[in-house]
Amino acid sequence: MKEVFIGRENLLKLIGRWAKSRRVYVPVTFDIMNSPETPDYELVKEEVPDKVELHGACPAQSPKTFLFYAREVVAKYPSSDPEASVEAPATVIVGPRACDLEGLEKFDKVYWSTKHFTEEYDDPFYIEKRRNTILVSVDCTAAKETCFCTMMGGKPYAEDGFDLNISPLESGYILTTGSETGEKLLDGSDDLFTPVDSNHTDERTRSRASVTAAVERQNAQYAVDVAYDKHELGSDQDAWAYVTQNCVGCGACNRICPSCTCFLLVDQRAEGGYERTRNWDTCLSIGYARTGGGGNSRPNLAQRLENRLRCKLEYSRDRYGAVSCTGCGRCIDVCMGRIDMREAIKHVVTEMAKA
Amino acid sequence: MKNLYRPIESVIEDIKKESPNITTYKFRPKEPITFGAGQFVELTVPGVGEAPFTPSSNPNVKETMEITIMDVGTVTHALSKMKVGDTVGIRGPYGNGYNMADFDGKEILIMGGGVGLAPLRSLILALFDDIDRYKKVSIRYGARTPEDVIFKDLLPEWEKMKNTEVLLTIDEPADNWTGKVGVVTVLLEDLPLLTAVDVKGLPFSADTAVACVCGPPIMLKFVNMALLEKGFKPENIYHSMERNMSCGLGKCGHCMMGELYICKDGPVMTAAEVAKFEDPF
Repeated sequence: MKEVFIGRENLLKLIGRWAKSRRVYVPVTFDIMNSPETPDYELVKEEVPDKVELHGACPAQSPKTFLFYAREVVAKYPSSDPEASVEAPATVIVGPRACDLEGLEKFDKVYWSTKHFTEEYDDPFYIEKRRNTILVSVDCTAAKETCFCTMMGGKPYAEDGFDLNISPLESGYILTTGSETGEKLLDGSDDLFTPVDSNHTDERTRSRASVTAAVERQNAQYAVDVAYDKHELGSDQDAWAYVTQNCVGCGACNRICPSCTCFLLVDQRAEGGYERTRNWDTCLSIGYARTGGGGNSRPNLAQRLENRLRCKLEYSRDRYGAVSCTGCGRCIDVCMGRIDMREAIKHVVTEMAKA
Repeated sequence: MKNLYRPIESVIEDIKKESPNITTYKFRPKEPITFGAGQFVELTVPGVGEAPFTPSSNPNVKETMEITIMDVGTVTHALSKMKVGDTVGIRGPYGNGYNMADFDGKEILIMGGGVGLAPLRSLILALFDDIDRYKKVSIRYGARTPEDVIFKDLLPEWEKMKNTEVLLTIDEPADNWTGKVGVVTVLLEDLPLLTAVDVKGLPFSADTAVACVCGPPIMLKFVNMALLEKGFKPENIYHSMERNMSCGLGKCGHCMMGELYICKDGPVMTAAEVAKFEDPF
């Protein structure tokens, strides 16, 4: 592990150097967005935009967008070529938070199965991109109202899973390497760095503690007696119907979620034959579990929202060994029905305790 | 890396009408696809989409594969318009299938409902290839009307097999039908509580009886209840679970039941494995 200090101007220069040989995405504030304080990713073109925003909480989107496309061609047919044709240019993503890296762990388990399990179904489209993507994570320096990583066993800063980590301070940034790839990002740029001193590390320690405390404080009201990884939420239809009242089944929560891995395959005509696309899907849609002949194991929206939340907290844990909610709060940010997962869990747990 | 989503071109070699809406298609894949009884494949109708099917042919026949399909949805309807010589796509096989070794020395009760007999035919033919290894094969099949009975020409042949019996029922009385009438569970009425009693002179006992069930979810539910009442052990009742297996790879999520992926942990699951779910069918 290597740590260096870098000022803002030099950091933008460093990112510019990365962009010479790779696609680099940086979080940038957009005035046109409803919430200008939430940055979203922009591809670095000629120059590194000066609106790069590394302070605050997580960007609008998670890195899933870059590794598991919203829509992607996964097969062209007829074809006798057994090999997958994958476009996976070298990419650097600057901005994922600790919650986002945790979300990728779920993706790794599902799509890069051999890394974690003894299975044969490795997904070339995810793996090639994952291999060619460098993750430059960033410490959160503030919490959104909807952040609840600490409730899900997480922290607002990453300790592993990154190639390089950026800790934003008042006067600049601490860069911490987490892999050989991350070290290479710093190679040849010593002109931009100064040594990290104890003032820098003290400031980082204070900042991390203060954001952690802020997240904990704002979530005290949602606390339940069950540990985050010990939930057995059950199928009390009244309790689930109550939390589903404002759900319209739009699936925005699935799509914005850093750990929602599900997809829908769609075939269509294409030049020279046909193509099969893989599209982000939502388990809240009525057709999701529908079988030939019209059977459906989850015909009611309340059953589907139950399935989504129990998948996050129970099924992923039982299948993959870790809950798949990272507490990023994006599902709450995007919900047009203002459904708050924290309130939903608290309601179901409370109702279960009464029964 | 290998592309998991590519369908293998397969030519339709034969089409045989089984009932007004059920047809058996014989495919010849251009690359070998071998499967075990109870496993499933994803069948592509080009440009339309994919759907999961368990083949109905003998798994020991390697060059061709038959699938018996009911015309109920987008993919199956598009398939019904295709002709001999047309090309579809197949990828797989996926899922666990039956572990044939589980059946050694056992009495095997096969319960089919409607088009649910189709996947079971693959199992039946695999059993016939080794019939001396099993004590008894009892095939019990229910269809809605005499017209809806599939494999009409094959059933009399199956009955002639050693250690094999075939029992049929239809849901409602019909003029030309002399056999049993009633939903498929009526075919279990003759079955005494499993201890060590004779059925047609052959033993059928709680320790060695297994049941393989395939049919619509409502049938699985009631047959499951009836078999448990008759004394079948939950770990000896093998259901063919019906879910929307879309990728077959344990990734897309459509077939999940709790933490289980039916496409990998199933589609063959015992009553014991699904017992923890309130309504698994």
